[in-house]
Amino acid sequence: MTALPLEEEQPVDLNAIEKHLAELWRSSKEIADDALTRAALWNVVAHTCTSETQATASEVLGKASGSVPQRSIIVRANSAAKPEISSWISANCHLVGGGKQVCSEEIAIVAGGDRIHRIPPLVNALLIPDMPVAVWWLGDLPNEHEDYVLALLEPADRLIVDSVHFDSPADLLLINRVAEKTTTTPADLNWIRLEEWRQATASVFDPPNMRGRLEAIRRVRVVAGTSGSDFFGESVESLLYAAWLCAQTGHEVDAQGNVQGSLGAVDYRIERRKQETQIGGITYAEIGFDDGSCASIMRDRDRGILVANVDGNLSVPESVTRTVPKGLDELIVRQLKRAKGDQVLLKVLPVVSRLAKRVGR
Amino acid sequence: MSSAVAATQAPAANPLREGLEQERVPDASALVIFGASGDLTQRKLIPALYSLAHDGLLPAGQTIIGFARPDYTDDAFRLAMREACDKFARTRPVDDAIWENFAKGLFYVQGEFSDPAGYHRLNQKLQECDRTRGTSGRRIYYLAVPPQFFPVIAELLGAEKMVSDPERGGPFTRVIIEKPFGHDLESAKELNRVAVSTFRERQVFRIDHYLGKETVQNLLVLRFANGIFEPFWNRQYIDHVQITVAESIGVEKRGGYFDGAGITRDIIQNHMMQLLSLTAMEPPVAFEADPVRDEKVKVLRALREFPRGREQEVAVRGQYDDGSVLGEKAVAYRKEANVDPNSRTETFAAMKIFIDNWRWADVPFYIRAGKRLPKRVTDISIHFRPAPYPMWRKIRGVDTQPNVLAIRIQPDEGISLKFDSKVPGPSVRTAPVTMEFRYATSFGAEPPEAYERLLLETMLGDSTLFARRDEVETAWAWLDPLLKAWAADPRPPDPYPAGTWGPESADRLIERDGRKWRRP
Repeated sequence: MTALPLEEEQPVDLNAIEKHLAELWRSSKEIADDALTRAALWNVVAHTCTSETQATASEVLGKASGSVPQRSIIVRANSAAKPEISSWISANCHLVGGGKQVCSEEIAIVAGGDRIHRIPPLVNALLIPDMPVAVWWLGDLPNEHEDYVLALLEPADRLIVDSVHFDSPADLLLINRVAEKTTTTPADLNWIRLEEWRQATASVFDPPNMRGRLEAIRRVRVVAGTSGSDFFGESVESLLYAAWLCAQTGHEVDAQGNVQGSLGAVDYRIERRKQETQIGGITYAEIGFDDGSCASIMRDRDRGILVANVDGNLSVPESVTRTVPKGLDELIVRQLKRAKGDQVLLKVLPVVSRLAKRVGR
Repeated sequence: MSSAVAATQAPAANPLREGLEQERVPDASALVIFGASGDLTQRKLIPALYSLAHDGLLPAGQTIIGFARPDYTDDAFRLAMREACDKFARTRPVDDAIWENFAKGLFYVQGEFSDPAGYHRLNQKLQECDRTRGTSGRRIYYLAVPPQFFPVIAELLGAEKMVSDPERGGPFTRVIIEKPFGHDLESAKELNRVAVSTFRERQVFRIDHYLGKETVQNLLVLRFANGIFEPFWNRQYIDHVQITVAESIGVEKRGGYFDGAGITRDIIQNHMMQLLSLTAMEPPVAFEADPVRDEKVKVLRALREFPRGREQEVAVRGQYDDGSVLGEKAVAYRKEANVDPNSRTETFAAMKIFIDNWRWADVPFYIRAGKRLPKRVTDISIHFRPAPYPMWRKIRGVDTQPNVLAIRIQPDEGISLKFDSKVPGPSVRTAPVTMEFRYATSFGAEPPEAYERLLLETMLGDSTLFARRDEVETAWAWLDPLLKAWAADPRPPDPYPAGTWGPESADRLIERDGRKWRRP
């Protein structure tokens, strides 16, 4: 199928973006008439720093708009670049059956030097009213420019990050501060990746006879797959898993990362293991009980599914055999399909930064 | 606390389930499908169960046992079901890893519905699954069989002690019954009597797949989760309501069944009564089984009786004649296979209904259902009263029209609102425009099949989306006099060419009130 003219990028005057968008739709109406629908359920602002990440954001949001129509505003801000600012518009169109296409707008803004400070108000003016706003931050969070981040987040309902890129526990603290001190709800793509492990673990404790053993947990060991470097982000998924288990079972974590359960101390360990694939993911989780028995979950690499072992009995929980979203666009879609922020993640965030001290012990 | 009481207590909720997509995961049970070699099992039930497994909504250990007359092995049954999923599952292509795991819980037991030996074998299989798959005595019996088999199946399940009594605690037993729920009021009561002779009412799940459709469930969300609609949802603002269930197909292979039933029993008594009651009901106190069904029953109880001897004033029936549908020739109903050449069975019915209560007094609900209509569509339209003062009346080019809120149940599910707008230009001219919401546009993904939702709800024990005994009987009690009057009337139904919107009498039914059928 050939691309409609409105799918091609058009450079536009920064002060007349909305006017150009209206013209774009008027001209498309002449071409496609009723076969084309303009739709949006979200404003999604992708923040990038390089042309590579800008291209990634454009590709990912273009795909994601097929499932969640959105006005995408892709920002590339680089304070080290020339002090310039420019913009483009285009549309992402997807067939929805019956020969009809649904199109969503994409606006690109590139700013360098001190012009980057024009970005927050410009983005603010371009948001569709009465529609939720998600800011997707690509890459590591700039802890040194917290004011800029907060200005951009001011209208945002959701901040989407990917903690696999975090270079230190300070990033987790910043996310927790956003959750506690602003009306923006953080969302983490790494948290979605964790879902299959959460499902598998929940399945282990679904049988009524296993429910009571949650209180008898005395050891938790999670192994993170790493590239061999000591980059912090590679262990965050494992850390999130441990913090989730901790929060949901009512374990208390003190400032030193020591954990107490109802039967006394619980030994949480997050280990790092060098491997070739699945870097940044969990490779193994083991939950030990006070009677010395344990339940473990690991990935069957041949079949790509998780396998649970409880008291020596192997099982494949049906609920984790499905294909979990892996592509960035699928992870973004999953986030945008949630009407509200993930309340469990909000419970986990304060725990995760304290538990970070257990990494690699 | 006595041990008997303790045994019936549900374990505490699994805290690790909080926030997960499948927050409510049913306990593993054995689902027995009576009539497992039939069309419904292959086209709907197994593909729906597979799709649930694909979406991670089935518990570990969930077991499905097919029970039917043909002599299959477990492996042959699995193979046939795999082929069915390859053809009909929503989540295609079938994922081999998921199928492999799903198929481990698929079994087959051969037996006649009336032969106790088959039930004995079934019971042994179920007990084996309790040990090997953790189903722990939890049973769901799906009767995908014609209603004449209900009594014998219920009786033999009882005789083999395969039904637990919920009053005594312990693992659950549930039974799913497919429509038709009887042929008339008397047979519906008999069917219900048979069902409750073995099961308690709360164990009986009467499936009307319309209630499993996302758009039907969205009716309640539209009405009761949005502040703007409910204030207008009454006789003060609504002029009339139209409900259309149109099928472009004829009777296909169901000529024998349909000729003994007709469109009123096949569609109106169940699906359309559901749509009508959901559209007209009062807000329930909670979105739970009994509060929702209580309100639906109140609507059915308030339906005005058909005027005896003057039924034609409010109800017309039609039968399709030769014609063409979507450009293809279609033969008359009486020429269809297994249909009596002199049949007086209606393939189309239209009615003007009043709900005699405070909210809907004197607001007509026009409903119509038919086969061989121009297209397949199910649609509810709310026609609002016109603006109170026509201030544009004297201006040429201004022809304001009442607002219409249209809820498209299928296909292309969505909601649209029609209103007038000024046509751009120096003079005042108006034109109707629509604001549209379409599921496909807004949510992208295909909604789950109705059977997926309903099977899952049965496993969870939530009967909100199932018909209750009094609901079924009240609908029959209202329709029975009309069906008897039609049966006693020697005149044939009004003919209509296949591919049209029904007989002229259906148009007259609404046009004599100064209204028109909306083209859905």
